[in-house]
Amino acid sequence: MNTSLTASSPRRWPAVLAWLAGWAAMTALDGRLDLANLAMLLVLAAAVASLWLPALVSVAAGTLAVVAFNWQFVPPRHTFEIDLRQHALLLVAMVVVNIIVATLMAGQRRALAASRRHAERAEQQRAWGDTLRDADEPLLQAGALQAALTQATGASAALLLPRGILPDRDDDAAVLVLGEPDAEQRAGLWHCLRHGQAMGPGTGRHAELPDAYLPLRGRGATFGAALLRGPWRDAEGAREHAQALCDAMGTALQRARIARDAASARQAAETQGVRNALLAAISHDHRTPLATILSAATSLDEQAERLDPARRRRLARSIADEATRLARLTDNTLQLARLDAPGVQLRCDWESAEEVVGAVLRHARRHDPARRLHARLEPDLPLLWCDALLIAQLLDNLVDNALKYSPDDAPVELLVRRQGEHVVLAVRDRGPGIAPAWRERVFEVFHRGAEAMAGAAEQRARPGAGVGLAVCRAIARAHGGELRLRPRAHGGCSFECLLPVRSAPPPPQDET
Amino acid sequence: MSLRLLLVEDDRELRATLREALAVEGFEVLTAASLSEGLALVAHAGGADRPRDAPFDLVLLDLGLPDGDGETLLAQLRRRRTLPTIVISAREAEGQKIRLLDAGADDYLVKPFGIGELLARIRVALRHRGTTTTPALTRWRRGEVEIDLVARLVRRNGTTVHLTPTEYALLARLVRSAGQVVTHRQLLADVWGAEFIDHTHYLRLYMGQLRAKLEAEPAEPALLLTETGVGYRLVEPDE
Repeated sequence: MNTSLTASSPRRWPAVLAWLAGWAAMTALDGRLDLANLAMLLVLAAAVASLWLPALVSVAAGTLAVVAFNWQFVPPRHTFEIDLRQHALLLVAMVVVNIIVATLMAGQRRALAASRRHAERAEQQRAWGDTLRDADEPLLQAGALQAALTQATGASAALLLPRGILPDRDDDAAVLVLGEPDAEQRAGLWHCLRHGQAMGPGTGRHAELPDAYLPLRGRGATFGAALLRGPWRDAEGAREHAQALCDAMGTALQRARIARDAASARQAAETQGVRNALLAAISHDHRTPLATILSAATSLDEQAERLDPARRRRLARSIADEATRLARLTDNTLQLARLDAPGVQLRCDWESAEEVVGAVLRHARRHDPARRLHARLEPDLPLLWCDALLIAQLLDNLVDNALKYSPDDAPVELLVRRQGEHVVLAVRDRGPGIAPAWRERVFEVFHRGAEAMAGAAEQRARPGAGVGLAVCRAIARAHGGELRLRPRAHGGCSFECLLPVRSAPPPPQDET
Repeated sequence: MSLRLLLVEDDRELRATLREALAVEGFEVLTAASLSEGLALVAHAGGADRPRDAPFDLVLLDLGLPDGDGETLLAQLRRRRTLPTIVISAREAEGQKIRLLDAGADDYLVKPFGIGELLARIRVALRHRGTTTTPALTRWRRGEVEIDLVARLVRRNGTTVHLTPTEYALLARLVRSAGQVVTHRQLLADVWGAEFIDHTHYLRLYMGQLRAKLEAEPAEPALLLTETGVGYRLVEPDE
């Protein structure tokens, strides 16, 4: 019975059936029952039929039936004459009972339909709320909102949602538009978005418009606008329901924006922290060679006549050495800052590993008089797609460290070989090695907080390693590669830079 | 007559240091601290003993000057005459280096640099002075390797080395600029043709082959040097 009461398109045929059955029963029982009992059948048929009929139809049908009853069954038959004493009361009572039953039934049905509708809407809002709560980026749910609005109101819906901060002008490039609104509807959506108020039929604002416009409201701000194309059935509360769906979206968008803002603020604070620590590390690293330079230079300046020529030359030499170290430190620091910046552009070209290594060797020989550095390259290595200056800088740093931190008579090897889809450039020394706890941390520029204090002693033990290895790793990663550290079996360590192999362009045509 | 250099450098300390160091080597050094001063000196410094169009033997040019870019002066010098120019710059922009070399600078030095390196570059640039009018270097010899461009002959330890036509063309181009860096673009354009200026990988292949044939230790070249990211340089011949 409930289903028939609340069916979205009410069925009428059971009512017709009830009337036919009632009339057939009255005709069949005519003569066997008295008039009052026949009248009861008619009242029953009317009551049953009113279950399916709107109130007015039900009353009209009932009244018509009473008139027909008068014609068919009330003597004198086949006339509309009424015996006032006998039957007038009966007929009037039948009509009044019909009216009361029909009205009550219709009211009951309406109340039931409304409560069913409320339950459906509450369920839809709950489901929509769940969807939004689980969404990291509510904008991606715009399609779902469009579908929900259409389901809720039966109207075709369109949406306009700013992708970021609301632009000063109505710029369609800055918004996400769904549902293909025409130019006028777009203007309406923008207006609704800017003013944060609903417009259209039943809203009290621009009621002459054919379509309804609803803002997607958050707290104190509007995050989009929805259009419900008219004319649409305004089943009670449909617009309010649609507005609730829209506001849920607005709140979700606001929440997402707040989360984004918080994340970027956190990021900015972290970047600032990194920058400060980097500056501290750099100024520490720069002071050491500067101190040597300054003391040697002032000694030359102030004690010149008391120094023998050999001593003077040694001081000059140390100034030159420390200045070179300072220059390299500066190069590394600048490179690190550059690679750290977003969207860094490498100057890549096809490079031969042999040439890059050759340049590194030539450079290293200046502070490798004993020729401890040996290079070994596998034959037929593929060309590398890389920024040769950066790879040379990486190898320079690794070779420099290896020569510095291994005994004066221990060899340092530079190996290049292919390993699957990578070319490995390895610098291997026989130095004291690096404690397991420090194997990852040597690639960090600095250490924060308490670690910085604990690490200070060790940093002194490996001066300059911080920025140098950090930039090496940054270079390797900028090339889509990696730099890692492996301890060697009989002491020392191996820094291995892996660069991905890319298919090389065709070689020039053979000549004879 | 001592050789006369123009040093355009805005930093006072570096200017004074370089001037003294170059004076010790016997050069006469005129200095300019700005672009306008440099342009004025180039225009009016001709002495009684010098031709008007060659007031200097060489220019050392800093790029970042207070009143403009040294590139302006370089363009002036190129337009008027061939005067060897060495660019000294703190800028690490490789693109700019290559552009300046292609635009006609003889060499570049990135600050900081040692005085020995500067003197070596000056010597090379002076040797190449006027090669557009006088015959270029045609014989090159260093250690066991000997190249004769007239006879089209390459020898190592007295034995003729067979080179393919492309290898020879590449080597000959480097010999003509011996001691100077030749950019990838210049080499590709001169040896293969202008449409090949992006085919750097050709150079990698042929330089590898040349080194295998000429170098005692190809992995650690002593003759055919790589100027990483810029080009190649054939070392100076023996005196």
